[in-house]
Formats: sequence, C-alpha cells, structure tokens
Amino acid sequence: MTLHAPPEVQRPAVMLPSSPAAAPVHRPAGNLGVARFFAVPGQIVSLTVLVMPLLVALYMSFTDWSPTRGSLFDATFVGFENYAELLVYDTRFLEAVIRTVLISATCLMLEFTLGLGLAVLFLREFRGKAILFSAFLTPMMILPVVVGYTFWMLFQSNGPINQIIALIAGPGAMPEWFRSAPFAVATVIITEVWHWTPLFFLILLSGLNAVPENPVRAAVILGASPRQVFWQVVLPMLKPVIIVAFVIRAMEIIKLFDEVFMLTRGGPGSATETISLYIYKLAFNDFQLAYGAAAAFLVLIGTLVIINLMLLPVRDQLLEARR
Amino acid sequence: MSAPKLSIVNLRKEFSDGSVAAVDGIDLDVAAGETVALLGSSGCGKSTTLNMVVGLEEPTSGDIRIDGKSVVGVPPGQRNVGLVFQDYAVFTSMSVRQNLAFGLKVRGIARSEIARAVDEVAELLGMADRLDARARDLGGSELQRVAIGRTLVTKPDILLLDEPLSNLEAAARLAMRKELRRLQKEAGLTIVYVTHDQVEALSLADRIAVMSAGKIKQVEKASIICDQPGHLFVAGFMGSPPMNLIRGKVDGSGGGLSFARDGFALTLPDGIALDPAEAAGQVVLGLRPEAIRLAPQDSDTLAATVQQVEPRGPEAVLTLDCAGQSLKVIVPASGRPQEGADVHLAFDRSALVLFSGKTDLRLPLHAGEAA
Repeated sequence: MTLHAPPEVQRPAVMLPSSPAAAPVHRPAGNLGVARFFAVPGQIVSLTVLVMPLLVALYMSFTDWSPTRGSLFDATFVGFENYAELLVYDTRFLEAVIRTVLISATCLMLEFTLGLGLAVLFLREFRGKAILFSAFLTPMMILPVVVGYTFWMLFQSNGPINQIIALIAGPGAMPEWFRSAPFAVATVIITEVWHWTPLFFLILLSGLNAVPENPVRAAVILGASPRQVFWQVVLPMLKPVIIVAFVIRAMEIIKLFDEVFMLTRGGPGSATETISLYIYKLAFNDFQLAYGAAAAFLVLIGTLVIINLMLLPVRDQLLEARR
Repeated sequence: MSAPKLSIVNLRKEFSDGSVAAVDGIDLDVAAGETVALLGSSGCGKSTTLNMVVGLEEPTSGDIRIDGKSVVGVPPGQRNVGLVFQDYAVFTSMSVRQNLAFGLKVRGIARSEIARAVDEVAELLGMADRLDARARDLGGSELQRVAIGRTLVTKPDILLLDEPLSNLEAAARLAMRKELRRLQKEAGLTIVYVTHDQVEALSLADRIAVMSAGKIKQVEKASIICDQPGHLFVAGFMGSPPMNLIRGKVDGSGGGLSFARDGFALTLPDGIALDPAEAAGQVVLGLRPEAIRLAPQDSDTLAATVQQVEPRGPEAVLTLDCAGQSLKVIVPASGRPQEGADVHLAFDRSALVLFSGKTDLRLPLHAGEAA
C-alpha cells in the first residue's frame, strides 16, 4: 500500500482557480471541485467532533481550568505545570500507570497462552468443533459493561463462584473477592481474560491456518520432532501475526475501564484503579478537567511509544512490499 | 548391477475417496549414484510417489526398500531420505546458516560438528559468503541452493527433488542444471526427481521413467528413450515435437510388407518379421520427425503439402499433409519451404517403429528381438 495519492488525482489540484479563459472548458478539475464541495460537510463534522476537541483538550491541559470556574478562555495558562505535577508528585497517577501496565501484561500473556493453546487444538478435527468455535467467539461480542456486571454478580460473597469453591474446598475457603486487594485484582484479570482470549484465539487460528505446509513438511523430513517443528518452524513464521494480535489487544487493554468500573470501581482503596478510571475520577468526580486532560495526553504519548516498540521487531516485514 | 539403492515394488496409493488409484502398482529400481527422473504431466502420480518414498504419505499397498530394507511405516525423519520441494520451503525466519544447520540441530549433533558440516556444504554450493544472510532476502536460485544444502547436510541416502528447476527463470535454470549435475558427481548422490519438463529430464537423468495415470509406462536410458519408445504413450509424449503416429494396417501381399492408412502407404524395410497375430490387426506406425526429410522426387518418396511452418531458431518444424495424414518434420531453417508448397518426403525406414493396436506396446520387428 502506498501513502501517496496516484498522480492522476493530484494533477488537477494545480488548476483549481485557473484563468477565466480556462473556466468554460469542461475538465476533470471541474468534477474534482464539485467532489470537494460535497466532501465539505464531512470535513466539517470530523473537524468539529475530532480535531477541535483534541486541540481544545490539548490547550486545556496547559491551564488550570475547571468547569466551576467559568469559561475555558478565562482560565490561567500554567504551561507544563499539570504535566510536571503528574510525573513528579502524583503518586496515585504513577501507581495507576504501573498497575495498568502490570494488569495488562498479565492479561495479555494469559490470553496469548490460552488463545494459542485453543488455536492449536483447533488444528485437528474433533466432534462438535463448529459449535465450540462459535461458542468460543461469543464473549467478544458481549458489551464490556455487561461482562463486568455479570462477573460482579458471579464474584459476590454468596455468588456462584464462591458456591463452587465451597463445594470443593469447604465454606472456609470462600474468598471475599472485592474486599482484598489481590483477589480484587484477580477478578479484573479473570474477567478480562475470559472476555478477550477469543480474540487471540481467532487471530492465532487464522495465522496457524495460513502457515505454509511445505516448510513444516521439510522440517519433519529433516528429522524434527512435532515439538521442534512447532517451536522452531511454526511459531517463528507466526511472529508477525502474534505481534499484531498483541498490539491490537494492548491498545485496548491500556484503556481498561468498563469492567473495572462495574466490578470494583477501582477498590478496595485504589487496588484496582487503572489509568482510565483515575482520569475519569479526576475529571468527573473532582472536576479537575485540565489536570485530567494532561494525564490523558501523557497516556496517549506512553501508548504511542509502547505500541511502536512492540511493532519494532516486525516493522520491516510488515512494511515490506511484496516481491 | 549391484543391489539397488532404492527399490519400489508394486506400489499403490488410493486416496480416501477411493475412486482412482493415484499410483497404480509401480515398480522401479534405482542404483546407487544413479539419477532417475519421473517424467509425466501433472496429476500422473509422480509427486505422490515421491511423498511415499520420503514418508509423507503411506502407501495403500506395495513396498519401498532402501538398501534392501523396507521403510514402509518408518517416520519421514528416520528414513534418511531428503526431499527438496518445488517451492523450496526454506525457513524464512532463519538465516542461511540456521537453515543449513537445522537438520543436524534437531538431531542433537554437537555444535562444532554442525559448524563443520555447514561450512562444508556451503562451500560445495558456493554459498560460503552468504551464510549470515536472512533467508527471506534470498533470490530464487539461492533459495534453491539453501533447500538442497539443508538436505545434503544430513547426508541422505537418497535425494528426492520435486520439480527442482521449474520455479527458476531461464538463465538460472541453465546454471542450476549444470550445478545439479556437478553435485550429483561430486557428492555421488542417488537422485530421484520429478518433472513434467522432458528437456530437464533428458539433460539431468541417467534413466527416465515415463508415468501416466499412476503407472510407469517405460523406464529407459535417457539417451535412447526418444528413439525407442516402448509404449505408444511414451512415443506420443517424448520429444518436441513427439513422434508421428499413424494408426493403420500392415499389408503383406506381394514381396515385402507395407503399411497403409487410407491413401497413405509406406513400404516397410526388408527382413521385417511381424507376429502374424499382430500383423493381422491394427498397428500404429511411429516415425520421429527427424527421420523424415525433404528430398527430390523419386520412386521412393511420397508427395506432401506444407500446411504450417514453425521456425525454431536454427531449425523449423513443418506440418505436412501427406495423403491425408498429418506429419511433423524437422528441417533446417535455411531453405525451408513456404506454406502451401508441394514437397516430396524421404523416409529413414530404419528408424520407424510399430506399436500393437491392441496392447499399445512396441512390436519386435525381427524374430527373436525383444522390444
């Protein structure tokens, strides 16, 4: 794919407001002018709903504005004060960042391992495969809020999960899921893994099915065991697919909000408070919109860096033109 | 001949749908150091045969023996048979060195020994300076070398090649053909290879096995298979253009024998003794295009009309109408006739062959001779 417009499209742009003599002549340029005219409403919409708010938020992050203090344009410009505060003094923000990264990394590794295992199982034929396939994909289609609420119910003190634990290990073994920090974190991870393992499963399964057959056969003929074939031949060929799956999931999970909001609201204390949840509280509980905007921009920059670092090993391969 | 390196005995393969046998009872012996080509059009069962020899597919019945020992049921990695795929199947995630080392590494060979073997093979293939290149960056003939080298490192008893040259462009193909011949001599390899390209088969193989519809029609030395096809299919398949084949009858009345089909009649050379049972039925006359030439008219020539002239560099292929029969003739490009011209044909009768109309096998032309 190229990022440049084909030359036929670029050329007429030069002759837009050309000399009056050229005006009556019907040229593609005229059509393009009309086309541009029709594109204007769309441009306006995207400007007003996408670009403008972004710029306003960026400006806001350099002020001390709060909705209780009147117009944004009367607010004091404070430069990088919000950013400095966040990075140097706001331990709750920094903790939220570390917590989000740790929860994300744990979830991604679990989702990848489970998704890969399931995908490998699905390379064989077995009874009920088609039904299981549909069933495995269903969690992804449920709204995060609904998933969060469902698991909140499941993890109640007398909820089904504790009932099962009581049956197996006795009533004394039932944890209070939302009252202890490690258990609360566990509910978030379990919910998230249940919800999004199917995405890894789906991407890895299609990747495995696209692995060419002959290198695998060649490895078998050269004497490799099934294990060696999988780890040394199949997985390396799957690397770009694996990394893309991680990237897609990482972009989503860094913004983790709905499930946590429904499950724990960040508690107990701030044990499960993710960045999104913290920013939400800053903006809509404490009305520190400017400060929250600064935090959001820091997260955006951090995400950009992380995602690009993740893509680094396969960047060349993904951008390479097909020979 | 000493005991064959590879011996294929009455090998059959039917796929699960069971309708047709992909390989239908073939027998083939390959001597140590010999190169045999399995030649046939696509779908004739030649690749299935290779897959069974290497162990990717199990035969329905029959046996495959290497050095006299059956390998049926032995896993592919333990047969010591190497296979080079048509698309090379090089491990693109690895370097050239890792590719070459793979077969030894998975067998748990000591690292120093692997390094020595890899260097040796890289030297043999002229890839010594490319060992650290990524396989993904290699071109067609380099990929081919890596694929062959990766197999040679494991010192296979038998090397199988599946259409080794067909993915290369013309120049690389010529170079690789020469290279393969050199390897075959230097490394003393026993090679079985599959191709649909008879030029490739003729130039690389010691013997050619022509396959059609799951059967081997004929196994013969590459040098004589074009002139002495043992089966009607081989006659119509080998050579470019292939042998002229005319179905007709032998007429024994008066003196010598002659062959006739409608208006086309050709006296057969003296001293021919055909099996009377065959001579009574239909036979097929085979004449190589090289065995017919243009000549001044005399009592022994036949008149013909040039229908098509197809120049091919130094020579030209003529399509002629000779008494209602279409004949292909190769003539020198210089002085070739125009389309529509009337010419006279002289036949080299010692080169003609006859096939049975019933069995499609070549008929012995003299008593006691075996076809």
